[in-house]
Amino acid sequence: MWKYIGDRLLRWIPTVLVVLFVVYALVFFGAGDPIKLIFLRAPGDIAYNAERIEAMREAAGLNRSFLVQFWNYLLHLGQGDFGNSLVSGRSVGSMIAKAFPITLQMGLAAGAFLTIFGTALGVIAALNHNRWLDNVISGFAMGIWGVPVFVSGPLLMIFFVKVLGIMAVPYGWHGLFNSRVILPMLVLAITPMALIIRQARSALLQVLSEDYIRTARSKGIPNIQIVVRHMMRPVLSPVVSQLGIIMINMLNNAVLLETVFGIPGVGNLAVESITSSDYPVILALVFIGSTVVLMVNLLVDIVLPFLDPRSLSKKETV
Amino acid sequence: MKKHLIMLTILLCLALMLSSIGIFAAGSQEEAEGGQVLRIIHPRNSGNWSPFIGAGHEIRWNSLQWASPMYFDKNGKIQPYVFSEWSGNADNTVWTFTIAENAVFSDGSPITAEDVKGSWDLCVRPSTQHLRVDLSLSGVVGYDKVSLGETIEMSGLVIKDSRTIEVTLSKPDPIFYQKIATALIPPVKISQARDSNGDQITEWWTPKNGVVVSGPFMPQDMDLDSGIITLVKNPNFFGPEPKLDKIIITTVKDEQTATLLLQRGEMDAHTELMTTTMIQDLGKEFVDGAMLAKGHHFWFSSNKPPTDDINVRKALIMAVDIKKMFEIAFPNGPHQPATQIVNKVKGVDPDYKEYPYDPEAARAALAASSYGNAANLPKLMFVGISTPSHELAAQYIAEQWRQVLGIEGTEMKPQQDSYQGPDQMQIQIFRDDVGTRVPDMVSYLMGAIHSSSGNAQGKMGGYHNAKIDALLEEASAKSVDDPARIALAQKAQRIFRDDWQYIPYYYETMSKWAMPWVLNFDKNDDWQVIEPWAVSIDEELKAKMTNGK
Repeated sequence: MWKYIGDRLLRWIPTVLVVLFVVYALVFFGAGDPIKLIFLRAPGDIAYNAERIEAMREAAGLNRSFLVQFWNYLLHLGQGDFGNSLVSGRSVGSMIAKAFPITLQMGLAAGAFLTIFGTALGVIAALNHNRWLDNVISGFAMGIWGVPVFVSGPLLMIFFVKVLGIMAVPYGWHGLFNSRVILPMLVLAITPMALIIRQARSALLQVLSEDYIRTARSKGIPNIQIVVRHMMRPVLSPVVSQLGIIMINMLNNAVLLETVFGIPGVGNLAVESITSSDYPVILALVFIGSTVVLMVNLLVDIVLPFLDPRSLSKKETV
Repeated sequence: MKKHLIMLTILLCLALMLSSIGIFAAGSQEEAEGGQVLRIIHPRNSGNWSPFIGAGHEIRWNSLQWASPMYFDKNGKIQPYVFSEWSGNADNTVWTFTIAENAVFSDGSPITAEDVKGSWDLCVRPSTQHLRVDLSLSGVVGYDKVSLGETIEMSGLVIKDSRTIEVTLSKPDPIFYQKIATALIPPVKISQARDSNGDQITEWWTPKNGVVVSGPFMPQDMDLDSGIITLVKNPNFFGPEPKLDKIIITTVKDEQTATLLLQRGEMDAHTELMTTTMIQDLGKEFVDGAMLAKGHHFWFSSNKPPTDDINVRKALIMAVDIKKMFEIAFPNGPHQPATQIVNKVKGVDPDYKEYPYDPEAARAALAASSYGNAANLPKLMFVGISTPSHELAAQYIAEQWRQVLGIEGTEMKPQQDSYQGPDQMQIQIFRDDVGTRVPDMVSYLMGAIHSSSGNAQGKMGGYHNAKIDALLEEASAKSVDDPARIALAQKAQRIFRDDWQYIPYYYETMSKWAMPWVLNFDKNDDWQVIEPWAVSIDEELKAKMTNGK
């Protein structure tokens, strides 16, 4: 197992270097530096003085060549320094240190919610195979999978806040245990929940036809006991294996969701930095994002053998 | 199985521990507020609240924390503030400013001439990235060298004594004193703001770094990550005592969320809200305000095909029913349709000949152009189409061009960098605003149509008319009371009219963007709340209006 983890980490280093290089090049040659952008977008009363713009770029260290800037960035990154924001001058490390825990809490809370409820709904659908309840849950899963968060977010907000009037306007970050978090967390969880429902449902349908389930039933064991003791473990394996994809999905959705609900997480930071071409922040977010994805996939690989020992033997064979 | 369960339990505990990390770091931002509290929604979190940015949304709240040299009241009359007296010499090349005797920072220390000089030098340094400093200080001797980073101090700023500063200009400027009556170049405690290299110290303006301010409110807390700024009364403010106890500025980007918060009375004002249903959602009083000396127009590039051909420009302008376009874009106001460049200032030309809506003449002009007909024209690209109203106006223009001239190829985007590849440098039509922060026609036109202006260089593709430049330069040296100053400026504007460089759009009203219960929330051409100490909340009205929401 340790060899496997080490191997994954070693493979991750060149991958992340290539990703950083590509992103740096895209921002550098695409949008340009923030000072050029400021003047490209400036209102008419802001004078376009090429000499002064160049002086500003020089003061910010942006007049150096692409490769020199990228190499300097890597040297700093090697020392754990993400550099300073080109827009606000603030330490990128401290910006991310504040934003990341918020997104992490949202992600974990949403992850726990969607796993518990998604699995339960999938199990209920499978136990009621081809009945109306199965159709409703499956239809619900298909529906929520197709609705992007920038649509579901504002719609649910209008419904709960304006139409029903049962909650305060959800905006900003007031801690995980504040009622204003409920709606954003629900919106973040709802799309990937569809994936869990479908996985749990199809996994359980397979299990239902297994011999040992029939044996358990013939012994007169109560249905609830059969589900919990004998069915859940094989059902959880495919569910856990989806967590990597779900994490990527949630990271993507966090960008839109945090903008809609004004949550100061990494998604919000990403939007701000991309809009202003603040590449130290963009690169740090890419780095953190790729690390999170790697870690989640590693975690899935570690947990999966506990749920299904066959997966370890398959890996060893490969 | 037991072993596996233990492992899963450990993992779950780990996840819960991780999830709790940020709870205490982020803290709870909700607390019951007593007294008079103004809650403002801010649409962006740049994390930079330096008073020396010169652009962006944050500068609109400069007057809350910083006392400006002078300011314009709601009648457009200049009022003393940090400076109590000012005077120019006979030819308006040397100006002397005296700091008010009672002008102090929030720690009680006096505002000195050294602070004024240091603040202005710092504003000009390229590392500060102040984007509008040239509007105020570009005439000061030594400006160019500091603005290019060659030196630290402008030789034209001389400290005469602790309360007096003398400013020498490179050429006569009768309205220099008006140009510095802005919250964009406030005097700050320079020992806090500037390092030994003459550059701005990172985040010197935060309470954690012990910033002292000069305005009616001082920062109590700045959560730059969440974008929440809390200001409280400055106990040592040298002006009238503020009526508000606290101001909380909160970043909420989503317009729908912002609208809901305002409707429910959870928030009182907004930095700048632009939605098509704003009047229906929040009432007319929310958007009402004073007319600014500022106009939005569609500018043609004079060096990009096909608008480098004056006959094409004529055709494009005469094909559009300008009044109809305005009505479509702003059916409920609050702005006013534009005609000439200048508005509001003294010297608005009563005899200005508006561009006609004349489809026949438009077709004839296109036929007379070097392109002959619409089929030969390259794609016409707009930028600055950044709000629903601008979209409506631009779509109306494109449709008129299609119907009248047969032009099919048009494209519109919010920003220049939204275009990719060679298109980015071939844009012909820029929707943008021009205006002035001082009530002066020459200043207005210098920033709009003089070849040195950002508008002429950037939006009109290096537009240059030597006659206009000469007239405006001559006018700028005339005294404010000299009738020739306005006559020359009017002449320049008429010449510009005959160059067919723009489609007039609208003159902007500076909406209050405040709910009716926010009192005395007036703003000026400097985009500032004029007298922040007078702002208060009518709690009764607020309770009445938000009851049940």
